Amino acid sequence: MTLPILSLIVALMIGLLLTGLFWPSPRRGAAGWLLRVFLGWGLGIGVTSLLYFLCLLAGLARYAAAADIALGLTLGLILFIRRRGEREALNGTAAGGERAPLRSWIAGVLAVELVASLASFIVAVLKEPHGRWDAWLIWNMHARFLFRSGPGWREAFAGGQDWSHWDYPLMLPLSIVRGWSYAGMEEGLFPAVMGLLFTVLVLGLLLAALVLLRGRTQGCLAAMVLMGTPFFIAMGASQFADVPLAFFILSCMVMLFIAARPEGSAAGPLVLAGMAAGLAAWTKNEGLLFALVAAGSLLGITAGTSGWRRALGRTAGFLAGALPVLAVVLYFKLRIAPANDLMAGFGWAALGDKLFDIHRYAQISKAFFVTGLSFTQGLFDVRTGMGLNPGPVNLLVVAAYLFLAGIRIERTDRTALIQGATVLMLMLAGYFLVYVLTPLDLTYHLMTSLNRLFIQLWPGILLTLFMIAGAPVDAPDDPLPVPGKGKPRRKAKGTK
Amino acid sequence: MTNRKAKYRALAGPILLIVLTGYAVLNLLVQSVGTYQGLPKQDPVTMHEERIRQLKPFLPASGAVGYVTTVENEAIFASEKSFRNVEYLAQYVLTQYTLAPLFVRNSPEVPMVVGNFIDGPPPPGLPQRHGLVPVKDFGDGLILYRRGGGP
Repeated sequence: MTLPILSLIVALMIGLLLTGLFWPSPRRGAAGWLLRVFLGWGLGIGVTSLLYFLCLLAGLARYAAAADIALGLTLGLILFIRRRGEREALNGTAAGGERAPLRSWIAGVLAVELVASLASFIVAVLKEPHGRWDAWLIWNMHARFLFRSGPGWREAFAGGQDWSHWDYPLMLPLSIVRGWSYAGMEEGLFPAVMGLLFTVLVLGLLLAALVLLRGRTQGCLAAMVLMGTPFFIAMGASQFADVPLAFFILSCMVMLFIAARPEGSAAGPLVLAGMAAGLAAWTKNEGLLFALVAAGSLLGITAGTSGWRRALGRTAGFLAGALPVLAVVLYFKLRIAPANDLMAGFGWAALGDKLFDIHRYAQISKAFFVTGLSFTQGLFDVRTGMGLNPGPVNLLVVAAYLFLAGIRIERTDRTALIQGATVLMLMLAGYFLVYVLTPLDLTYHLMTSLNRLFIQLWPGILLTLFMIAGAPVDAPDDPLPVPGKGKPRRKAKGTK
Repeated sequence: MTNRKAKYRALAGPILLIVLTGYAVLNLLVQSVGTYQGLPKQDPVTMHEERIRQLKPFLPASGAVGYVTTVENEAIFASEKSFRNVEYLAQYVLTQYTLAPLFVRNSPEVPMVVGNFIDGPPPPGLPQRHGLVPVKDFGDGLILYRRGGGP
């Protein structure tokens, strides 16, 4: 297992260089660096899987490790040249020297919950080391075909095994293949390691981003809600691509928030946001919708709030990160992947019938309502159908928290908040429309997929909701500064 | 008085989340401990893989093989779609998962055919109906056939 883990370390290095290049000075000491690690690691995995795909296309898959090192060296060189001559300012150390009792309690509970969640995750992997249904029907199956086929890897896509959804993007399978290629053999537990890593990355990214943007208390509470979502832990252990997709959606939203803050006002965070959106499309088909609505809402909402000139500039930055990735996704979709099962069953005659079938809208609306309140608890039992099962942690609990804590919206976050909320609403609207038009049996399609769609958006929803939460009274926050706020940022030793 | 009320209200928010998330996480942990105690020596996928892996020396490295099981091939996907039975589809998919990159066609119309009969012996007349001749019986419901002419 050492060599596949090495592939993940190389991905981390590449990710750190990427974030260093496009987001040069994450302030706030530990939180900033942790955010860079969590964000960079996921982006690094995504980018190296893309690189592996290019190596496959060029017939150079055996040199994938060398290509990784070449990419790392190139990024390192660019970063070195850019930073040469720049005066390195030592920024703040860890946030907040105060040790409010509530904050200490929250941090303690978070640590206990983290250990307990890790134990639950490990048991889930021991129970099903190959993951659950979709892992061996789709993701790990694809990884095996691509790794075992060698130079004949393209045959897998033309093999007629449509039930395995060979049109699905390759981020996850190729990340697994890349790890195996480092070892020169299949390591059975590596897909489970990937599942654990992405689960931790989503959790860490949510925590670090909120600590940086809203303070330690909000970050810890949001991470606790995510850990209190049994379906999130189960999905990570299941080795599905939904948690990696959730990571890229969250990454994009986090970088949009950072881009709106004064320290992130350069184009770099927008490039990283675009890259994350592109990698979402490289992870699952739903990511294509996400990339589209993220770019659209960035353009439209920035135009509405700050004018078209600024909107075009910011969207250009976003597209600079997204388009290179989307070009590879497009090539894969047009030249290699077979038709999608939803598109393959598409017919104009049936389209009209479905669009005007009010019963479909009613059934989907009911499913969205029930699942929206129950998805945190896991999959529905297909034998008993959908039923309300909100469990102890759900959307209503977060709403109750907001009611109690109050709402506090920073002026500089307004645009990013509107963008984030718009993206989430448009994603839900897009999913709704897909269900209206699906050629599959509607009940079957809703029962087998809707709760996973909600879990993809759940970390992004939590980010958005905790970005508007008021600070608890005895847990003073010390977030990244916003213009016009009276509270000055604490200076670290050695700064002028 | 209002400030005090607001203070308690703001304090109630984090406490609500601490209690509920703590309960949810510990509840999952308790379930996991129960699951751990009842874990079988081997998970079903690994068991199925070990069964199917016996076929590999008798099959080509690439190309395709056919597949038959207790129910007709058309019923494998239909049963899963109607939520009646997912087992036959799971067994078929896991056969493909193990034998990749060899394609396992959901059909007996292929020169070499894998027979996977976990539920018991093949239904009477099934091999003859598809013109299948046993090549090797591996036991435990796993039989390799070749197509020996029309039924």
